[in-house]
Amino acid sequence: MYIDFMLNAFAVSRMKAALVWQDQVFSYGWMLEAVQRWKQHLMKEAICSGSVVSLEADFSPNAIALMLALVDHGCIIVPLTSSVETKKPEFREIAQVELVIEVSGSDRAHINNTHVIATHKLLLRLKEERSPGLILFSSGSTGNSKAAVHNFLPLLEKFKVARHSLRTLSFLLFDHIGGVNTLFYSLSNGGCIVTVRDRSPEVVCRAIETHKVQLLPTSPTFINLLLLSEAYQRYDLTSLELVTYGTEVMPESTLRRFHGLFPHIRLLQTYGLSELGILRSKSKSSDSLWVKVGGEGVETRVVDGMLEIKSQSAMLGYLNAPSPLTADGWFMTGDAVEVDGGYMRILGRKSELINVGGEKVYPAEVESVLQWMEGVEEVAVNAESNPITGQIVMAKLKLSTGENGQQFKKRMWMFCHDKLPIFKIPQKVMLVTEAMHGERFKKIRK
Amino acid sequence: MRQDLVPLIVKQIHELNGQHGVKVPADLSSDTPLFGREGILESLGLVSLVVSVEQAIEDEFGVSISLADDRALAQTKSPYRTVASLAEYAGHLIQQVEGQHG
Repeated sequence: MYIDFMLNAFAVSRMKAALVWQDQVFSYGWMLEAVQRWKQHLMKEAICSGSVVSLEADFSPNAIALMLALVDHGCIIVPLTSSVETKKPEFREIAQVELVIEVSGSDRAHINNTHVIATHKLLLRLKEERSPGLILFSSGSTGNSKAAVHNFLPLLEKFKVARHSLRTLSFLLFDHIGGVNTLFYSLSNGGCIVTVRDRSPEVVCRAIETHKVQLLPTSPTFINLLLLSEAYQRYDLTSLELVTYGTEVMPESTLRRFHGLFPHIRLLQTYGLSELGILRSKSKSSDSLWVKVGGEGVETRVVDGMLEIKSQSAMLGYLNAPSPLTADGWFMTGDAVEVDGGYMRILGRKSELINVGGEKVYPAEVESVLQWMEGVEEVAVNAESNPITGQIVMAKLKLSTGENGQQFKKRMWMFCHDKLPIFKIPQKVMLVTEAMHGERFKKIRK
Repeated sequence: MRQDLVPLIVKQIHELNGQHGVKVPADLSSDTPLFGREGILESLGLVSLVVSVEQAIEDEFGVSISLADDRALAQTKSPYRTVASLAEYAGHLIQQVEGQHG
């Protein structure tokens, strides 16, 4: 019912590849039948429309078919991946999950009733409206994870407009707004999704070469790791036409280095939030961090340097926090931006802003400079409280040089003193040996 | 026994020379004013020195102390007046920590 526009398109492209999973190709014909089969199964099991169902899976043929069948059945879907394994019980409780569907690594689904009855008013509202829903958990990198509840129908609207689709690697996770967006965009437009078993540079590059991937939606952290690993030298990436990046601020140094190596690959910055969905965006150029964000049904404004967005596909609210939407529907993103004409440049999260004796420092601009230094593999900059200046700039780094802190600090000073104002040069340096990113390839600052 | 931390601090000041707006005078000694009247450091230089000295103490003595916290700022006489006063304050904190660990 709700996804007829997709199923009709599947029927037209029966022979086309919809998905590559474990190096096997699954056609749109297969996908259409699998969705129908799951819809019948949901009926047979007497699963009510409006049920809150956690879909605990990664991108796989049955997980995708189930996601579509659940949307069509009017269920409220809570996608969860193994990246939140330890938090699953907590997330199920917050989302008041009524039914758990686990899809195993071998793509077999198991359905379990939790005997919970959802009572949250946002969930009841969806049930009453008979609208399918989607619950997404924010990464919680700055506190507790918040559960954003969406009505699925406005999210589906934008996929009804036919657009060009590329062979796309499913890099962003199944339970992330970017991953959900990749999935629906690709399937709505007859595209092919190439899945990977893990998201290391080696595996990703091999998949790009083997399956002639054209689009890689990823994060700045992954691009940095790709450059460090030099995995790109061992594989043929000539099929790659477009790399999109979002979820965190892109260091200018990483962007310029990647663009220098791959001048033929277009780079596009994306902007999306669990609370709003993915907005349409357009980078000024491949080597520019200036971006236009908007599209149909989206209004943006900048208040006191902070980006605010009003979107028709905005969430209904959080399950476990007060609504951050203003009475007239504006969402305060918490992102500080600079504006130039129609373009903006994202400086960073206001919550990550460092205040050194009244001077403002955004971690990303410092990280970008440090990343140019020889031997700096990963860097994360954050605030440390200090009673003398309120806060100081502290850089946590993973080095390949074997220097000690003091040696590195000297070199850092020589390198930075003509690139950054004095107060932005880290006053404190901490060297680490372990990787500094999570499974979502997003920088862990704390 | 209380360590004489003046050489350690002097070494850290020399390390910082030219950085964070720090200009080390030729006659650097235990009486050299650090912060405040005629001090050689501005706030960023002070912050950087404090961080470096904390780190050096941890490396050398295996003791982690905080030379910049509310307690330090609440002293009637600022520990940041001179090299000697900072050395004394740091020595005092090290002794306290070592005392706790028996």
